[in-house]
Amino acid sequence: MTLKNFSRLFLDLDSCNSTNKKIEILQNYFSSNKALENSWTIYLLTGKNNKRFISGLSLKTLFSEIYEYPLWLIDYCYLKVGDSAEVISLLLDDKIKIKNKKYQDVSLHELLNKSFPELSILKEDNKKLRLKEIWENIPKDNHLVLNKILTGTFRVGVSIGLITKAIAKLINLDESIISHRLMGNFIPSHESYKLLINKKIDPSELNYKPYPFLLANTFERKIIDKSINEFQFEWKWDGIRIQLIKRAGEVSIWTRGQDLVNKSFPELEEKISHIKDDFVIDGELLVWNFKEGLPLNFSFLQKRINRKKPSRSIQKSLPIIFIAYDLLEINGEDQRGSNLEIRRINLEKYIFKWLNERQELPLIFKLSDLIYPKNWEEVETFKNNSRDNGTEGLVIKNKKSIYTPGRKKGLWWKYKVDPMQLDAVLIYAKGGTGIRAGLYTDYSFALWKNGELIKFASAYSGLNNSEIKELDKWIKQNTIERFGPVRSVKPEMVFEISFENIRASKRHKSGIAVRFPRITKWRKDKLIKDADTLENAEKLMLNK
Amino acid sequence: MRQSITDLIKYTSSGLYCSVADVWIDPSKPVKRALITHAHMDHFTFGCDEYISTFETAIILKDRLGKEINIKTYDYNKEFKINGTKISFHPSGHILGSSQIKFNLAEEKWLITGDFKRQKDETCKEYEIVKTDFLISESTFGLPIFKWDEPQNTAIDITKWVSHSPKKVSILFCYSLGKAQRLLNEISKTNFKNNIHTHRSIFKVNNCYKKSGIDIVKTNKFDQTKNIADLKGSLLLLPPALHRSAFLKNLKDIQTGFASGWMSIRALRKRSGYDKGFSISDHADWDAILNTIKESQAKNVFFHHGDSEALNRYLKEKTSINVLEFGYTK
Repeated sequence: MTLKNFSRLFLDLDSCNSTNKKIEILQNYFSSNKALENSWTIYLLTGKNNKRFISGLSLKTLFSEIYEYPLWLIDYCYLKVGDSAEVISLLLDDKIKIKNKKYQDVSLHELLNKSFPELSILKEDNKKLRLKEIWENIPKDNHLVLNKILTGTFRVGVSIGLITKAIAKLINLDESIISHRLMGNFIPSHESYKLLINKKIDPSELNYKPYPFLLANTFERKIIDKSINEFQFEWKWDGIRIQLIKRAGEVSIWTRGQDLVNKSFPELEEKISHIKDDFVIDGELLVWNFKEGLPLNFSFLQKRINRKKPSRSIQKSLPIIFIAYDLLEINGEDQRGSNLEIRRINLEKYIFKWLNERQELPLIFKLSDLIYPKNWEEVETFKNNSRDNGTEGLVIKNKKSIYTPGRKKGLWWKYKVDPMQLDAVLIYAKGGTGIRAGLYTDYSFALWKNGELIKFASAYSGLNNSEIKELDKWIKQNTIERFGPVRSVKPEMVFEISFENIRASKRHKSGIAVRFPRITKWRKDKLIKDADTLENAEKLMLNK
Repeated sequence: MRQSITDLIKYTSSGLYCSVADVWIDPSKPVKRALITHAHMDHFTFGCDEYISTFETAIILKDRLGKEINIKTYDYNKEFKINGTKISFHPSGHILGSSQIKFNLAEEKWLITGDFKRQKDETCKEYEIVKTDFLISESTFGLPIFKWDEPQNTAIDITKWVSHSPKKVSILFCYSLGKAQRLLNEISKTNFKNNIHTHRSIFKVNNCYKKSGIDIVKTNKFDQTKNIADLKGSLLLLPPALHRSAFLKNLKDIQTGFASGWMSIRALRKRSGYDKGFSISDHADWDAILNTIKESQAKNVFFHHGDSEALNRYLKEKTSINVLEFGYTK
């Protein structure tokens, strides 16, 4: 009874811009559907680990073969639509013409637990038959949702926060409890949904679960009116935010994105497990250069995250460190209600104790150092010099703050060092996908070297909608050559590109790689001869 | 002078041009003599010495350009001559007065479809199948993902959208000429009883339609200085140019929608910034373009207005029709 209901839900949410209305829609849905279906709905809406049963490419290929439809024509449509699942659902409208047919309604559980996994392992010919049968037995307006689930691309403008709110309202329970229950792996089942909406709170069920993270706001200038003594200062590391949990002998390593990453960092799990106390600590994970006492670039950390079973040699060549900065729970006692000053004292006490007890611990575990600027001018100096020790600025914390979920005002601030900037020339543009389909929104930029423009970075973000449209038009009129979805354009437009870091790279022709590049200004006032040289970029690298 | 058989009509920086008759079609810059297929803003310009159109198009053109323009009108299917070239207008089904233009020179026939649609629309004459040798077709929606639903279904969706939010003003943005009248006509066939208000630009066009004998349901002329509370629960039609305009920002409790063929694509719908998109178009969809080409019996086809790469390749692979590119002259 429910692919239909879920499609309806998708359409309703998709055409609704009001948060309150969305919560209402969700609440109504949850109260009128079965627990098992609701659990799958939450699984799909949070989109955490949506499985891909068929790739977008093979969905197009299968459609093309089932209905003898030219693949190149599907690809033309894709350029306009930017989503394989939607292209195929639009084309299916044309192919399936049977009217007044009695359609089947299938449950999400049936689809996600049985039909789709079975489909995904069928041999090509059977797969075609089966997929055709599925498509032709459901109503037209369910195709989009079905295809999106199949390709693992189901997304709708609903955040986990919104679902949390809807469930909390539904059972009239505190949001933080629901948010707690929704964290981590939500495995869809009748029981998991019943647990989620259980009005009784059972402490043991929460053993392995992290607390919702406190998130820092961007620095607000108004806080300098306050005394410097009201704040605690730490470096802002460029790693991944982690909640490290040890409860009842079990270690859990959670990212802020609510992924459990124990498998990527087995050495941390192993060493932590010997600590006698139970705890929950908030901190940062980095790949560390122990000789120099500096972090390695984020790209090395990415290599570690992506590996689910790192070999000994990887563990050795890319050693990690956990920098602890807050104590949220100790031996079963929730500390979040205490203010930061007290939490810090306890954090130091326990960490020194553990570091003394376990000799191997300092090689993977460290306390976040405090900085003591005397006044706000010195804060500025510390911030500006933060690149010297491999950090990207400061985190400023209100000493009286308690640990609350989300990005509440007045608790923590991140004060990031100004980005590095270069003026570069637009040389390539590529069509966007999804909401940016049909527009050229992915850009590549170049710098001068010996009178030649060398590509140095690609950026997607930073322009507003009207600039995107204007640039798209310009690109279409100033194309030199086309290579599939990519166009080379006349070197004429200069943009200010900002980025967080720069390093040498053998993989790029320019010899450099930048982190998080984005457009910060369309420099219409500049001619291409005014753009920066690769030499300027190399200087930045030396001076950082 | 004509150099080859395939260039009776050329593409110039001012638009399509027939050198033998020395006449432009829907020019984008002021020219000596302009044939106008229909009165949408992107199909005519100020300052031409002479305009030639159907009678209905002329009514709207005069309304938009001023009564003093030099305009000659011909009925549909009535042949006239310019510099020896036989020319005639034929209904294109796009909006009131819209026409295809047929050129006939030395037994060689050329047809410019102009903007056209094949769906039923009671507010204008139905598309007429015209046989030709050379066809210049629009290709605004030249991809198979475009397949229009029955307009009555869209009208029902719109009325439901309004009725489900009785406390809001439902603002539907649509082109003042053609789309608005078609929507009003479709809505009048549903059991929608709420008030309908229209922007003065739409109100004005409604009157032009009435002058041509097309009955448009009565609406209230929208006055933005009036108390907006009167509009609660009603449908308000506005031209798209007013979306994000200053006075809308001051309105609370509104929901916005946009009626256009582009709204059939989710990415475009999301990007448009309207709360809701309603798919309804006065252009031909993929199947209608292909059918029209077939029915015209043209051996040679050009495309104009819109991406035509997919159509080009499709015709080359599936038919024996020649797909040509315009010769370009300044």
